[in-house]
Amino acid sequence: MIHDATDVISVGQSLPELSRKITQDTINRYAEASGDHNPLHVDPAYAATMQFGGPIAHGMLVLAYLSETLTGAFGEQWLKSGRLKARFRGAARPGDTVTISGKVTKVEGGRVTCDMAARNQEGEVLITADAQVTA
Amino acid sequence: MPLSLAALAKGDRLEPVGIDLTDEWVRGYINAVEDQAIVGMGACAPPMSLAALAIRALLAQSPLPAGSIHVAQELSFLRPVAIGERLYTHAEILSRGDRQAWVMMGVRLCVRDSAGDLVMDGRATITFPLDPERGD
Repeated sequence: MIHDATDVISVGQSLPELSRKITQDTINRYAEASGDHNPLHVDPAYAATMQFGGPIAHGMLVLAYLSETLTGAFGEQWLKSGRLKARFRGAARPGDTVTISGKVTKVEGGRVTCDMAARNQEGEVLITADAQVTA
Repeated sequence: MPLSLAALAKGDRLEPVGIDLTDEWVRGYINAVEDQAIVGMGACAPPMSLAALAIRALLAQSPLPAGSIHVAQELSFLRPVAIGERLYTHAEILSRGDRQAWVMMGVRLCVRDSAGDLVMDGRATITFPLDPERGD
């Protein structure tokens, strides 16, 4: 955790990174939990005919990794004051390793703002997000 | 038969859905996303699980058209939610724009507790292929 009651958060501070391997099984388990069985995610034959050329992970699955990173960094404060504005810019595919990174960009009025990103193993950006939390 | 999201218009609201945040479902969610950070948070559900619950309730009432793509997501988490709580999900179509072969739609998804207080609020932006037979 980067912050507890005794820590000082500073602009430019990096959050601990988090990496997760995406598999079709991962995607299928998320489909079960979320009820989102969009064939783009769970039907390889259908997905192969669409613009991504194959199945892709739910954006909300990758966003969950981002939220986990913020839970790890800010603890309960993330659960009770967290805000996210995210754009899905690319798709994670089975076999990808997704890495979440973040950096503090603003500390003002008790609110901490972080620029967050999810990238695949090629460095391609999958998600960009602005996160805010009361710290 | 549930009405596809493609058939909905700006201002449409779906019926609120009451859901018990069961230990079984939360464990399944945590297993799916491999969340390790929530382990130290007591008997609380990962905040993104609330969004997943809201999406689950939405899709049960109004399925996504095939080929839908999630473009953007805004979320606010207002308090930790304990496993075992009774929650109510709400969905409303905030915006809809039809452009050539695609629809861009904004959907508000929020979750309230049994006292009616917000525990999660959010806006999803999705796009899907325009179906000339939408509403069928």
